Amino acid sequence: MENFYSVCFSFPRFLCICLPMKADKKMLKGWVRQQNGANRPATMCMALIGMCNVLAGMVLVWSLASILAGLLAGGGRLDARWLGIFILMSVVRVILGYVQEHLAVSSGELARKRLRRELLSRFFAQGPALLRHQHSAALASLLTDRIEALEGYFARWLPASALWVVAQWSVVLVVFWQNHRAGLILGGCCLSLPFFQAVFGIATAIASRRQLLALNRLQVRFLDRIRGIATIVLSGNAEKDAQGLGQAADELRQRTMKVLRLAFLTSASTDVAMIVALVWIVIDQRHGLMHGGSVAQTTSILFAVLMVPEAFAPFRALSAAYQDRAQITSSGEAIQKLPTLPEMAAGTSADQPRAERTARGIELDVQGVSYQWVKDRPLALDDVSFQLKAGDVALLTGPSGAGKSTLIEMLLGFIRPLEGSIRLGGVDLQALGPAEITQQISWIGQKPVIFAGTLRENIMFAAPEASEKQLQAALEASSITGYLPLLPDGLETRLGEGGFGLSGGQAQRIAIARAFLKDAPLLIMDEPTAHLDPMTEQDILMSLRGLLKGRTALISTHSPQFHNIGETVRLTMETGRLTEQETLA
Amino acid sequence: MRQLQPLWNVWKARGGRLLIGLVLAELSVCAAFLLMGQTGSRLGLIAIGGVVAFGILRFAGAARIILRYLERLATHDATFRVLADIRLWFYRNLAKGAAAGLGFRRSGDLLSRLVADVQSLDSLYLRILVPLATALFSLPIVIWVCLKGSLLLALSIGVIFCLVAFALPALMAKLSYRWGPELQQAQADMNNQALDLVGGMRELRIFGQEDAAAERFLAAEEAFYTVQRRQGQAMAHIHAISLLLTRLGIILALAGCAGVFFPEEQAVMGITILFVVMTALDSIVDLPRAGLLFGRIRHAAERVVDATVMPEGTPAEGTAPAPAGHEIEGRDVTFGWTPEKPVLQNVNFRLRAGERAALVGPSGAGKSSLAALLLKVVAPQEGSITLGGQDMASIQTEALREQVAWLSQASHLFDDTIRSNLLLGREGFSDKALWAALEQAQIADFVRSLPAGLDSWIGENGSHISGGQGRRIALARVLLSEAPVLILDEPGTGLDLETERAFLATLNQLDRSRTILLITHRLTGVEQLDHLWTLHEGRLKSQPL
Repeated sequence: MENFYSVCFSFPRFLCICLPMKADKKMLKGWVRQQNGANRPATMCMALIGMCNVLAGMVLVWSLASILAGLLAGGGRLDARWLGIFILMSVVRVILGYVQEHLAVSSGELARKRLRRELLSRFFAQGPALLRHQHSAALASLLTDRIEALEGYFARWLPASALWVVAQWSVVLVVFWQNHRAGLILGGCCLSLPFFQAVFGIATAIASRRQLLALNRLQVRFLDRIRGIATIVLSGNAEKDAQGLGQAADELRQRTMKVLRLAFLTSASTDVAMIVALVWIVIDQRHGLMHGGSVAQTTSILFAVLMVPEAFAPFRALSAAYQDRAQITSSGEAIQKLPTLPEMAAGTSADQPRAERTARGIELDVQGVSYQWVKDRPLALDDVSFQLKAGDVALLTGPSGAGKSTLIEMLLGFIRPLEGSIRLGGVDLQALGPAEITQQISWIGQKPVIFAGTLRENIMFAAPEASEKQLQAALEASSITGYLPLLPDGLETRLGEGGFGLSGGQAQRIAIARAFLKDAPLLIMDEPTAHLDPMTEQDILMSLRGLLKGRTALISTHSPQFHNIGETVRLTMETGRLTEQETLA
Repeated sequence: MRQLQPLWNVWKARGGRLLIGLVLAELSVCAAFLLMGQTGSRLGLIAIGGVVAFGILRFAGAARIILRYLERLATHDATFRVLADIRLWFYRNLAKGAAAGLGFRRSGDLLSRLVADVQSLDSLYLRILVPLATALFSLPIVIWVCLKGSLLLALSIGVIFCLVAFALPALMAKLSYRWGPELQQAQADMNNQALDLVGGMRELRIFGQEDAAAERFLAAEEAFYTVQRRQGQAMAHIHAISLLLTRLGIILALAGCAGVFFPEEQAVMGITILFVVMTALDSIVDLPRAGLLFGRIRHAAERVVDATVMPEGTPAEGTAPAPAGHEIEGRDVTFGWTPEKPVLQNVNFRLRAGERAALVGPSGAGKSSLAALLLKVVAPQEGSITLGGQDMASIQTEALREQVAWLSQASHLFDDTIRSNLLLGREGFSDKALWAALEQAQIADFVRSLPAGLDSWIGENGSHISGGQGRRIALARVLLSEAPVLILDEPGTGLDLETERAFLATLNQLDRSRTILLITHRLTGVEQLDHLWTLHEGRLKSQPL
């Protein structure tokens, strides 16, 4: 598809004037400029070597022209000096090209690494609340594929765009210096490039941008269809859908070819400029040489002719890298689309008050907290207040969308209340950094994330310094010991992507073991048995009872089985408000 | 290379257009040779004071411009056609064999990767085949031009040309094919670390492991770049070698001008040869990169072709039309995804037309396998299942699936309007029928509240609507079908208890012309059932209601 993208190339600057710019486009441009700035040293280094390569090319072509002129003059002897220079310059150019390629590889690598680190720190600064706004797979692909696709932009497009004007016009100037008439012709043809680009380019660029969008949409549609192919096949509609897909592709091709017919005129204009320069110089120079010119004259003509491809090479390199340029826009847009959440302050000073833990757990005091995920939407939490004493076990119920998960994320410190305050063990959460908050809290969600690694690693990461004895205690308390003998390598069985598959109940036990091992005074659970069948749920509840001892707990659940787990408080939420609050004896 | 046979067959259908593209590309290269050859000879003639005509030079210039334009048009048109063909071929084959089975396994990522592989096949023609074929046809022309000078020169230029245009690319293709798995593994490791890091952000924060996870991810990234760098270096070496070889070719042609290979009086011819050799060698110097690309594409093509091969155990296509009756009966059905590990053993059941049954059991007990059997995605290893008294094995698969509609946990919502999501390409449904289905699925009020109504876009996998709303639209899709048998596999997934209850209560109100099999891990208490079956360790037991 290289050609398709490169023909769409036309002066971006013209486009900037022609197309109205929206605020997000401005932001995108600002981001791209920032990326270019960060990469400037490497870009300049590559452009410099590229310039050296052009200069070496001039010497090379001059030596070739001199050799040929000497031969034509009838001496018949190969000028050894010029031949030496020719061979030397050939080797120099190969070496420069080699170095340039190495630089391109390492500069592309450095840029991608830098971008990844930036994104990582942004992810961590915004925290798990990000997952509320964007799917984890989309975030992961941003971190990997989207950034990977930028290699060409940093490795090829940036140096090519920094180099091409200087390189082209220094060739024209040198030719002019050696041969005025040829220099003028070459300069005229080079000048016509922007002119042609403007005439054919703007119309086609706008049309082809739309076309590119349509092409993209077709790719997305194809991907979507393939992902859902089972749904289509099992509804007995596969053939009809295939025909629809084929029709869409054919329509797209016809429309695309209409645009391409015009768009290829843009690239043909580059060919025209180069070939006209070549033919014109040859024909024009016959007057200077008629009836035998001097060796110097012949040399200058041959030099001018042989330099024509060199003059257009930088522009061609730029066109070839055009598709790389398109990547930065799409990746940049994806990065811009990341929600801008308030960043959590890093941990504060050491002399802050410590949350006080008792043998029965920790005190939790929620006073009038409110929260809103999106502006202009109803409040997700509206003036919620409740208190838990150390050792209280609270059951939180309510229909989905009532704000239970929002409340939990707030208690975990992923988001901060817009109004009101939360005090944990007598200390305001606002005063604590995310790390200090989570030190006091364990959490069990609906489905634990099992990381690629062994079972031991998956449990031990809750408390890396824990002893073997503590690990054994956690294994027993969570009843992992019950299924441990079934695993091929026991504790060393590899889990996660490509590893051993655990059932929902087995995975949830890992989450419980983590909570045991971490031994935090406040335990928060978000529908821990939602994905389990009743028998497994019963088993899990047994383990949870043990976990509740000596801890304050808040459990959000739909399951009636949780009643009688030993709860002391019942909370009911509806549309962001706490509607019922019942303390049991 | 044999594995790529099916792809070539797709290409063959467009052989004419692909060939026209190749011919134009070759003609355009010939025009370039003529242009540079003429430039050389005209300059030489002028320099020695000869009488010179420029007709052919002008012609060659014009021809080069026009042919290049036509070549671009023809090759791109052919590419677009093949591109659509390959996608359709892939889609149809996947639909025929593997797709149905994929619905019962988690496979979204696998499919996305396959789609990327299909996309990478696009460059096979434009970036590999066209340049390679042009080089192949240019070789005799270059040798013929050099032969005007001397045999020895022609031979040595020919050898250099073959090395750069064919030997180095072949070497590169072989190397990159061999590196493929290593690079892919490194990239997969990095992607998995990224997924762990992002998906596990909550766990990482709560257990204070964010830095450790970041370190693991960055280590995987470094490992990936180490592999990539090694390949980049090899590529740079081979590119440098091909550049050196082309310079050597130019020096040989230059030596020809100086009388090494033929009498020096023929200087004009020498310059002509030199210019043609320069043009030819310049046009092939990037071919080793095409070799690199080819190695990668071969892996992609193999994965694509593998995916379209029918998996073993796919039931054979039947011939009988769907029977009139809808009673479903299974006799002594034994089935396992791998024969050594049966998930269903000697299972017997009977579901009369219009009856409602619930199949309850823990996850992994084989509930979904039974659904797969009823949809003829797989066939029982022993025993038989009949629909309306007719063995399912003998019924046409598509006809059977028109009788049995399926709502799964993995029912896909397409990035399209609500209307298209309901219809899925079916025709002949009035808006009234659509609304009735939405009504039954208890989502009509929500759809009515949207400004665009039925034509609202629901986003990638229903991202613009909530999970519960998405499940209801998927249900409406199933209810819209006139299939007399409905299989609902965990319809409550992603719904809270109240919503799930309300949803199941609507099923009670459906008219009795439809048979319903509800597959679930727990009952909510509102279901009105004729049968309650439990599945435990491969055995199906009927429970008292």
